Amino acid sequence: MAVTDHSEGARQARTRSGRDWSDLVSRWSFMLPAAIILAAVLAYPILYTFQISFASLDLATFTATEWVGFENYREILGDRGFWNSMKVTGIYLAWALPIQMILGFGIAYLINVEWKGRSAVRALFLIPMVVAPVVAGGIWRMMLDPLWGMVNWFLGLLGLGNPDWLGDPNLAMATIVIIDTWRWTPFVILIATAALMALPKDVFEAADIDGANWWTKLWSITIPLLVPIIAATFVVRWLGAVKMFDIVLASTRGGPGDATNVVNLYIYEQAFRSLRFAESAAMAVVVLVLTMILTGLFLIGTRRLERSY
Amino acid sequence: MAVVDTGYTSRRHLWRRVRIVAGVVLCALFLFPVFWMVLSSFKMPKDIFTTPPVLFFEPTLETYRSYMSRADITRRMLNTVIVAFGSGALSIVAGTMAGYALARVRLRGAGTIGVLILMSRGVPPIALAVPMFLVARKLGLTDKHITLILAYCTFLIPYVMWLMRAFFQSLPRELEEAAMLDGCGRFGAFFKIIVPISIPGILSTLIFSVILAWEELLFALVLTNRNASTIPVAIAGIAGDTVNGANWGALTAVGTLTVVPVVIFALAVQKWLITGLSEGATKG
Repeated sequence: MAVTDHSEGARQARTRSGRDWSDLVSRWSFMLPAAIILAAVLAYPILYTFQISFASLDLATFTATEWVGFENYREILGDRGFWNSMKVTGIYLAWALPIQMILGFGIAYLINVEWKGRSAVRALFLIPMVVAPVVAGGIWRMMLDPLWGMVNWFLGLLGLGNPDWLGDPNLAMATIVIIDTWRWTPFVILIATAALMALPKDVFEAADIDGANWWTKLWSITIPLLVPIIAATFVVRWLGAVKMFDIVLASTRGGPGDATNVVNLYIYEQAFRSLRFAESAAMAVVVLVLTMILTGLFLIGTRRLERSY
Repeated sequence: MAVVDTGYTSRRHLWRRVRIVAGVVLCALFLFPVFWMVLSSFKMPKDIFTTPPVLFFEPTLETYRSYMSRADITRRMLNTVIVAFGSGALSIVAGTMAGYALARVRLRGAGTIGVLILMSRGVPPIALAVPMFLVARKLGLTDKHITLILAYCTFLIPYVMWLMRAFFQSLPRELEEAAMLDGCGRFGAFFKIIVPISIPGILSTLIFSVILAWEELLFALVLTNRNASTIPVAIAGIAGDTVNGANWGALTAVGTLTVVPVVIFALAVQKWLITGLSEGATKG
């Protein structure tokens, strides 16, 4: 790349900038397919949702016609069903997420023993999480049937009565949490097991030499070391759980009454059964913004925790 | 001292055995609903609707026969296969390239793109389903495979990008440097060197994507009605059918048909799936 002469140097600089340009193109062309598809099917629909939420929709042509400002938002502000569905979603999240995290990490800790069948057990734990959620809702609905279900038959044997799992509002919510927990706890167990197996052994050996009992080891070594993974798993579970739809649709369909009508199901029914597209777009925007804010907060929290441990 | 020692170790042994047994019992407990579904799918209605529930009965394929012969189940099965593999293939190509770009090709703004991908995983599908339905309706694209394939890309591509980014970051950098020195361009290095050695990672990510697409319900409900409708929609219909009462035979048979291929798939690549899962969680 020795430059001998001024005019030669200028020419080279030009071709180099030409090469830079083609280099830039070749770098970004790796992103191109994904960027085009995501712009078309992810970014555009989100913008379109925002647009519809400020418009009124012509049901003959399915297009947004008139700009109505915050009219749709005012409408949903007074929509009791919408606020109920937000509350129901909150209750579901507040129960399901902590239960799954505690059960998942607890079980993983309990069964973290080296033995022949360990990898087989670990593989089998994959099965509940690949059962389609709509199938999960269906089978559990069958097993929890008060008349023919096998769960109530078993409870009857133990003399625990005959709970009406899907008919009682509080129990229906518990049912949703149980089904979701059944499907997702194995996921937490698998991640927790992988994390437990990756813990540094020498720290525990040092603690053994110091005569620490298992309780001290659990609280002052295992849990602090696991905190980043607990936080990350929580975020992943949160991202999945806010999308709750299939299990409810297949098991309770939001009932009895509106007791398990989570927000995704409510918006779905408002849009595709009542054809209130503009209002449901406004609701979707509210949910979208709230989810984004909370996800952002959880991510920041995760980073903080990672740094402080 | 020796006595105390053996007492301690035998207690430890007992505790170890308790933990192993607990693991097996818990695993069986979590598998029970799947077992019960498969078992019930071979029952006659008289064996399904009984108290106490029966474990031993004369197995029959009647439910399968009557449901498989109904054209819509076979067609839906085919649709589910087309859509799951179509969207899986499209996402794996686009997502692997993008994941590679994020991991290895120095791009200005790669960090921002990373955050955007993470945030996109929080977008509620219902916020996409409403506008997609309206646009598809306007363009005459409802009830077509391609519509559903593209809709599934909304969650599959970010997922693949994220997993493959982590995968490529774990590869030694010398690989593509050597390839570039050999005169391969950036594309040459990627397709001739990086992709072939990444096949296990790509394959397991592909399988996971196919599973996610296979089970999807909301977009399928909204964007299809007859020709491109998938199995989960059928199951939602059977499970939610309150007019004809509980059709548990159909539910368990169609459920088994949906779950069994996925379980076989998942077990075949379980080692990769478990690593992929923990990677996806801890680095995602």
